[in-house]
Amino acid sequence: MSDIEKLRAELKALGAEYAKIKTLPPEDRGKFGRELNAKKQQLLSRIAHAEAEAESANVAPIDISAPCAINSPLPRLLHGTKHPLMVELDHVVAIYSDMGFDVMESCQLDDEFHMFDSLNFPQAHPARDGYDTFRTTENFIPPAHTSTMQHRALKKYQHKLTSGGQIAVGIPGRVFRNEDADATHEHTFYQCEGVLVSEDANMGQLFGVLKRFFELYYGQKLNIKTQPGYFPFTEPSAEFLIEKPASLGGKGWLEMGGCGMIHPNVLKMAGIDPQQYHGFAWGGGIDRLAMLKYGLSDVRYFESGKLDFLEEF
Amino acid sequence: MRISLNTIKQYLNIPENIPDQDLIDLIGSRLVEIEEVIDLAPRYEGVYVAKVISAELIPDTHLHLCQIDAGAARPDLVKDGKIQVVCGAPNVHAGMLAVWIMPGAIVPATYGNENFKLGVRKLRGFESNGMLAGADELGFDTEHKSIAEIDPALAEPGELLSEIFGLDDIILDVENKSLTHRPDCFGLIGFAREVAGILGVPFTEPTVFQNLSPKLHASSELQLEVEIQDTDLCPRYNCAVFDLPKNTPNKYLTAEAIFLAKAGMRAIDPIVDLTNILMLETGQPLHAFDYDKLVAVGRADRPKIIIRAAEPGETLQLLDGKTIECITDDILITSNNVPVALAGAMGGKNTEVDLSTKRIILESATFSLYRLRKTQMAHGIFSEAITRFTKGQPAAMTLAVLAAALHELRVDPLAVIDNYPGKSPANVVRITTLSINTLLGTDYPTSTISQTLENVGFQVKVQDDELRITVPVWRTDIHLPEDIIEEVGRLLGYDNIPLSLPVHSFSGTEIDPIFSLKSQLRNILSDRLAMHELITYSFVSRRLLEKAGLDPVDCYEITNSISPELECFRSQIAPSLLDKTRDNLKAGHRDFTLYEMNQVSQKSYGLTDEGTPTLQTHLAIITLADFYHLKAAVLALFAQLKIKLEYTALSAEAAKQYPYLEPKRSAELQVNGRRIGAFGELRHSIATNFKLDLMVSACEISLDPLIDAPRQLSVDLHLSRFPSVERDLTLKVSADIAFGRVDQALEESLSRQGIYYTLSPLSIYQASPTADTKNLSFHLRFSRPDKTLDSTEISAIIDTIAKDLAAVGATIV
Repeated sequence: MSDIEKLRAELKALGAEYAKIKTLPPEDRGKFGRELNAKKQQLLSRIAHAEAEAESANVAPIDISAPCAINSPLPRLLHGTKHPLMVELDHVVAIYSDMGFDVMESCQLDDEFHMFDSLNFPQAHPARDGYDTFRTTENFIPPAHTSTMQHRALKKYQHKLTSGGQIAVGIPGRVFRNEDADATHEHTFYQCEGVLVSEDANMGQLFGVLKRFFELYYGQKLNIKTQPGYFPFTEPSAEFLIEKPASLGGKGWLEMGGCGMIHPNVLKMAGIDPQQYHGFAWGGGIDRLAMLKYGLSDVRYFESGKLDFLEEF
Repeated sequence: MRISLNTIKQYLNIPENIPDQDLIDLIGSRLVEIEEVIDLAPRYEGVYVAKVISAELIPDTHLHLCQIDAGAARPDLVKDGKIQVVCGAPNVHAGMLAVWIMPGAIVPATYGNENFKLGVRKLRGFESNGMLAGADELGFDTEHKSIAEIDPALAEPGELLSEIFGLDDIILDVENKSLTHRPDCFGLIGFAREVAGILGVPFTEPTVFQNLSPKLHASSELQLEVEIQDTDLCPRYNCAVFDLPKNTPNKYLTAEAIFLAKAGMRAIDPIVDLTNILMLETGQPLHAFDYDKLVAVGRADRPKIIIRAAEPGETLQLLDGKTIECITDDILITSNNVPVALAGAMGGKNTEVDLSTKRIILESATFSLYRLRKTQMAHGIFSEAITRFTKGQPAAMTLAVLAAALHELRVDPLAVIDNYPGKSPANVVRITTLSINTLLGTDYPTSTISQTLENVGFQVKVQDDELRITVPVWRTDIHLPEDIIEEVGRLLGYDNIPLSLPVHSFSGTEIDPIFSLKSQLRNILSDRLAMHELITYSFVSRRLLEKAGLDPVDCYEITNSISPELECFRSQIAPSLLDKTRDNLKAGHRDFTLYEMNQVSQKSYGLTDEGTPTLQTHLAIITLADFYHLKAAVLALFAQLKIKLEYTALSAEAAKQYPYLEPKRSAELQVNGRRIGAFGELRHSIATNFKLDLMVSACEISLDPLIDAPRQLSVDLHLSRFPSVERDLTLKVSADIAFGRVDQALEESLSRQGIYYTLSPLSIYQASPTADTKNLSFHLRFSRPDKTLDSTEISAIIDTIAKDLAAVGATIV
C-alpha cells in the first residue's frame, strides 16, 4: 500500500467517526466535532502534498538559469525601441494636454521675424548674440528656441480670447544652437515652450503652473524657486528651478528653464491688446529631463544613432 | 564677471545678522545668476608677511639663502630666532618685507587646481621652509617677475597676508548674460545698489555718483576741440587734458593690485590701474591718450578730436600691435580725422601712453552699443571695457567718472570737454499699484512699492492711485510700466509671490495632428514591428547627400556651420540612417531595422504664406533585408494605420527623387492617388558609397499627406458558426506572370462563391532562373455562413477556382 493509499484509508476511517457525534451528550458534541474537522483538514493537506509529489516524481528538472533548453534553439523575441527623448517629449506633451494646453509642434527652419523681431528683440541687440543662431544662405534660421513659435501660437488661438476663453499652448520641438558639442552641450536639442494668455494671467499663476507641471511629471509634491533672468520677450523675466525630486536623490535644486510675463510688445505684435490681456510663457529643455531621469552624463548619446545606447531603454 | 563680496559690503550697511550664504542666495535669486562662489580665505591660509633678515647668494647658483623673521607664525620652524628659506628671485634682499608661504600651505595660485602643497625640503643641500612668493604665485598676476614686497607701513612680520589685504573674501563669478540689459550692474557700485534693494535698505550713493554734473575748471587756455559727427555713434564725449603727475614707481604689492586681481585683472601702471579700478567701480571705461602724440598725428595747429564712422578700407594699428582693417560699423576717434583709437575697443599705437609721455588726454565717453557689438565681432576684441560698452553705458555718468579720475590723480585739468549732444529728458513712468499687483498676483501696499523703488534710486511721487516714477539716469533699460513691475517683483522676491493656477473651461485641448501621428507611428514601428527609433542631426554634410545620390544644391545651406559635416539642412532622412547603419554594423549589430521621423526641407518645396521654408515631416526606415521584408513592414504599418496604401513600380520621377533606390527593385507608394514616398533595395553603387556590403533596403515617406488621409476603421467581419475547410493550393503559371495577377484572379474567384475565406501566400517556387514556369502556393481557409460544407461543395469550389484561374494561364497542381 502506497503512502497516498494509506492516507486515503485513514480519511475514510475518519469519516466513520462522524457518525459517533450523535451518540455523545450534546455538551460534548461541539468539541468532538471541531477536533474531527481539524484532523480531517490535516489529512487532506497531507494527501494533496503527497499527490503533488507523486505527479512530479517522473518529471525531469530543468536548469532555470539557462537561456534555453539543451539542444534547443534560443527563444527569439523581436523587440524594437522608442527613442528615450521622444518618449519624454510625448510624456511632457501628454501632461500639458491634460492640464489644458493645446499642442503645436515647432518648426525647424524659420526666419528673423519669428525668431527675434516678433519677440521684441531690438535690431542688432546684444541679446540676439546670446542665442548663437545658425543661418542659411537665404538668412533663414534653424531656430535657437521654441519661442520662435510664440507669435504663431498667439495668432492661431486668438479667437479663444475673443470668445471669452484663454490661449494655452504647449510647443515641443527641435532647436539648434551654434555651439561646440560637449558632454552637456549639443548644437541640436529639444525644448518645450508653454504660452498662456488670459485676462487675469499673473506671475503667481505662472509659477503655479510650472510647479504643477513638475509635480505631475515627477509624481510628487515639490517646490519651485526662481532666479533673475533676462529675455527681451518677457517682462518680468526669471529662470526657474525645481526642488530635486526624490526619484533623483532629493536635496538641492535643478535649473529647469526660463520664464516670464509676455512682453506687451509681443502681445501687441500678435494683435492682442496688452491693456486687456496678460500672458506668461516659459521654456525648458527635454534633453535635460531625460538625462536626469536616466542618469545620463553625456547629452551627445541622444543623437549618436547607437543601438547600444537605445537598447539600454 | 567677478564680484568681491567684501567690496560690495563696503558700499552699504548690510544688516549684521545676515550670514554670507543667505546674502549670496538672495543675490542669486533676485539679481543675477551666480556661476561660482569662490571663497578666497582658504587659499591664503598659511600665507604670512615676513621680514628678510639676511639673503646670501649660494655660490654657483642664482639662489639666495635667506633667514626670515615671521613673527609668531610657526615658532616650531624657528632656529636661532630665524626661519631659513631658499629663494631664487633676484630682488630678494635683507630688510625687505616679503610674503612667506609656510610649509604645509598650498601655493594660492594653484589652489583648486593642482593644489601644490609646500613642505620643508633641501635645495642645493640647504633646508628651505616653504617659500617667498611672487605676485603670480599669490594669484595676483599672470607673469612671474620677482617676489612680492610689502610696504612696511602696512604690516608687521608674522601678520597674515589676508588680514592686511582683505583676502578673507568671497568672489562671486556671475553669468554676464543674465545682466545683458543692466549696464549699471557692470560696475561694483551699481551691483551694490541692487544688493541694497534686495535687502530692503536704502542705498547711499558713494562720492563719485553724488554729483553727476560736477563743475570742472580748466586751469589753462589750452585749446582742444571735440566734434561728434553723429549723435547716434556717440551720445556724449568727455575728456580732460592734464600733465602727468610725477610718480615714483611703486615697488610694493598694493591694495589696488589686489582689488584688480579679485576682478580677474592685473596691475599695469598707476594711470592704467586707476582707470581700470574706476571702470570696475562705476562701469564706465576710460581711455588715456598721449596728448603730444595725438596733436602730432593730427598735423594741425589746433588739435581737434573728431568722432566718426570708419571709412571703408581705413586701417589702424592698435595698442596690441595688430593692424586692423576697419568695417564701416566701426567708430573711430580721430585727431583731425587721422584715426587714433577704435572707439570703445582699443587705443591706437600712434597715441600710446609710454615712459616718454608728459601730457595726457583722458577720455570718458559712451558709444552706440550696436556698433560696438559689430566692432567686437569683426575684430575679435573681448576686453573688460568693450564688455561694458556693449551693454550701453549711460551717458549721464561719464563726466562724474572723469571728475573722479582727476580727483584721484590729484591733477588740475588744462582743458575739459563735455560734448553731450545725446542728452535725453528725465524718464518718468506712470503706473498704478493695482496694475503692479495684478500682473504679479500680489497684494503689495503702495508704501512697500515706493520704498522698494526708492531704495535703488527711483523717485516715486504718489498722486491718488497713480505712482509717478522718475527713473534714475543709470537705468537705461527702463521704459515701460512692465519694467517697473519687474523691479518690484524681483526686488521683493518672486519667490514670495503666492502661487495659483489658471482656471480653464471644459473645451478640451487639441494636439498638433503631426505630433499625434508620430506618436501613433512610434507605437506601431517600435512596439509592433520591432524597429529601433533613432534621432539624428538635421544638419548633414554635402558629402553625405552626394553619397546618397542627392543634389546638395537644393538644400538650405548653413552659412555659419560648426563644421563641413553640418553644412546642409537635410532634404531626406534615409541618408543619415544609412550612415548610422554602417556604424551599428561595425559595433556588431545584425538584422536591425532603424527608423526616424523628423522635419526636412529643400528649396524646391518653396515658401509658406509666412515666407519661411516649407517643411515636411518624413519617416525613413532602413532595414538589413531585401525588398520583400521591407514591403511586409510597410504594408503592416499602413494596415495598422488603417490607411489604404497603393504601390506601383518606381516611376522615372520617383527614381530621380529617391536616387539611392535601385529602380528595378523598388516601388513607390501612393495614398489617395498621390505619391507619398518610395521604398526598395539600395542601388549597388550607393551601398558601396556607404560601405555596406550586405542587403539593405530603404524607405522614405512624407507623413504630412497621411494626416488627412481617410482611415478605414470599420471592419468586415466574416465569422461563421460552421467549421472551416483548409486547403493548400499550388498554381503553376508561366514564369513571366506577375504574382499580383494570379493573386487578384484568385481573390476574385473566391469572392464570387458566397463563402467566407482567408487567402495567404505560402511560397513561390521556380526550378531554375531559366525555367518557363513557376509554382505559386497559397493557403486557403473557407467556410459557409449558413451550413457545414460537404465534400461535393468543397470540390465544386476548387473546380470553380481551377476554371477561373485558367483565364490567367494558371493550372492547379
